[in-house]
Amino acid sequence: MELFANLAHGFVVAFSPINLLMCLIGALVGTLVGVLPGIGTIATVAMLLPITFGLPPVGALIMLAGIYYGAQYGGSTTSILVNIPGEATSVVTAIDGHQMAKQGRAGPALAIAAIGSFFAGCVATVLIAVLGAPLTKLALAFGPAEYFSLMVLGLIFAVVLAKGSVLKAIAMIVLGLLMSMVGSDIETGASRMAFNIPELADGLGFATVAMGVFGFAEIIRNLDAGAEMNRDLVQQKITGLMPTRKDLIDSTPPILRGTVLGSILGILPGGGAVIASFAAYTLEKKLAKDPKRFGRGAIEGVAAPESANNAAAQTSFIPLLTLGIPPNAVMALMVGAMTIHGIVPGPQVMQKQPDLVWGMIASMWIGNLMLIIINLPLVGIWVRLLRVPYRLMFPSIVIFCAIGIYSVNNAPVDVILAGVFGLVGYWLIKHDFEPAPLLLGMVLGPLMEENLRRALLISRGDWSVFLTRPLSAVLLAIAAFLLVLTVLPVLRAKRDEVFTESEN
Amino acid sequence: MADTMGHSATATRNTSVALGFCLLAIAPQIFEFIWSIGTIFGWGAGRGPATVVISHATALLAGAPSALLAGDTKKSSDVLLALMYSYPLFAVAILTIFMTIKSAQDYIGGIVLMALALFALWASSDLQGMRGFSFGAGTAPRMFGGLLVALSAGIALTGLMTDGPALAHYSWRGPLFVMAAILFFALAIRPLGLVVSAFVSFLIAALGSHETRWLEAVIVGACLTLGCALLFPYVLGLPMPMFPRFLVQ
Repeated sequence: MELFANLAHGFVVAFSPINLLMCLIGALVGTLVGVLPGIGTIATVAMLLPITFGLPPVGALIMLAGIYYGAQYGGSTTSILVNIPGEATSVVTAIDGHQMAKQGRAGPALAIAAIGSFFAGCVATVLIAVLGAPLTKLALAFGPAEYFSLMVLGLIFAVVLAKGSVLKAIAMIVLGLLMSMVGSDIETGASRMAFNIPELADGLGFATVAMGVFGFAEIIRNLDAGAEMNRDLVQQKITGLMPTRKDLIDSTPPILRGTVLGSILGILPGGGAVIASFAAYTLEKKLAKDPKRFGRGAIEGVAAPESANNAAAQTSFIPLLTLGIPPNAVMALMVGAMTIHGIVPGPQVMQKQPDLVWGMIASMWIGNLMLIIINLPLVGIWVRLLRVPYRLMFPSIVIFCAIGIYSVNNAPVDVILAGVFGLVGYWLIKHDFEPAPLLLGMVLGPLMEENLRRALLISRGDWSVFLTRPLSAVLLAIAAFLLVLTVLPVLRAKRDEVFTESEN
Repeated sequence: MADTMGHSATATRNTSVALGFCLLAIAPQIFEFIWSIGTIFGWGAGRGPATVVISHATALLAGAPSALLAGDTKKSSDVLLALMYSYPLFAVAILTIFMTIKSAQDYIGGIVLMALALFALWASSDLQGMRGFSFGAGTAPRMFGGLLVALSAGIALTGLMTDGPALAHYSWRGPLFVMAAILFFALAIRPLGLVVSAFVSFLIAALGSHETRWLEAVIVGACLTLGCALLFPYVLGLPMPMFPRFLVQ
């Protein structure tokens, strides 16, 4: 019953006018970002971090969360109507969704995507509320050794789920860990790898790197891809949003399966919305009686991935809120937002900041409701936005990013650093390195180093402590098992298949 | 005939890659030299350009070889840089000439990453290591630096052993103008204020695409500048200089 009391408290917090407004802004911005290709969730959240300075912490986090799950809705709209996924999470939706649109069934496709997302969002909200408290209790049993092993597991997950070469993904994580060590050492205060440059003494700003690698690098990459893509494929009027009875019956099981799969993949560290939508699509194709229908407008191919990505986007808050460990890059930025407001993420947040946690959880449900309204009746407006040409969009994004970074510390050097990291990001893309593991490594770096040092200090320098403590040993065993699985040739081929399928 | 021609083509390619690595091997030294030019005008603290050139040249040509032969004596930071960073990369560059690179994307990516890792190892070489069983400030950076050297060597080897994509095509226009816009903004925001720097940066960035139509860009840029000038300082309450300093005073 404590659960209901908590949720009720959350709704009281979330229904305050300022928080409702923040939720609406988050949902609107999220949809906008989701619709527009060429600007991703990570860059947007990074860009808006400084903006949240002046807001109360609850409102700020409600807004940022809204952007994340709002983008999952918006991404599906453009995938279905124009075959341009606005977000990586909606890439698979485009396969069948756009086929449906071509057959004149754009309305039902959009409706099913929204209904699936809404259902998944509701389930995930409840799940966060239910799992929050017990996981927090578990987290209190964690010592430094367990924390370290859990983070290793998270990073290995990120490797397994990253696209392309395993070796390159691990290298990116280690590079991220190294980059996190620039600046003052937490324990001794010694200046590390800062070359007496005062701007580096505090370390590389996480928002700066994120904005460079995801914001600027994306822009440069889009520019040389010959930006103007083929955008006017299905522009005819959308008639009849209502799906038929058969559509609803056909899509119910995929929505349920997608929700379950998405929720699980969202909780696991290293996972997140992108992989959830891929996995859900693959699962539906495997389970279908007639797999040939996929790619030709099967409604299951829209229902499952859209539910999965939305469920995952929300359940990925669970490790953040209970353990204080960000499972993906967006959550890592949320850590940044929390620290800006003086909140240290971790198990104590649930007890010390009930307003924040439960208010955010409740706001997710409200946000989902808003998103349905924003997306379904107003779909025409969002599609019209796609007519804004990239040649006008990209300088605007550059300027907005630059002002955003400047306002974090009022430091022009940060802007230049972000530019440099933009070039680094461009180079990484050209050499087929994934930037997401790099960012995750950078965020987990300080936490990992601190816990590693503490664990070894407690065990008096005995490395076997990671294997003799049962919880830690289990976590490491899972990590090792996963790594072995990924390297095995049979499974590797399977993994490549999943990713190439999503690219076509 | 065709065979020999193909061979000579890869040979020239390899030579240019090797030359690139040589340049990479002395990149930190060159960077410090460029940085040190500023000290002539009184910007920043540090060694003057002449000292930088002489000390790096002696370290590369005399100091490091003698340190290699003499074994463990106290080495200066420049000698260490030559030993830990430049020499290994020179060695890689020489080896590159004799290799057949199957995937330039992986090979070059791996080597550049390795250079970064070696540089990090050098940068953390002056930090304290293990004290008994507790970590010093330098332990973790060295641990991960070493790991990254191994991993990047692995990536480079993959580039030698397995077929993969060649080097991707780089374009200069987008990166150049976007970077110019960012740089201009960073330098202009303090003296010129938000209005001027945002508008001019917008136009510089717009040069990055050859599809830009100027009338349109000027209008959108002006609207965006106006929007930002209202949004950031007033709506969000972030303090920021708005107009050029000389106009305000």
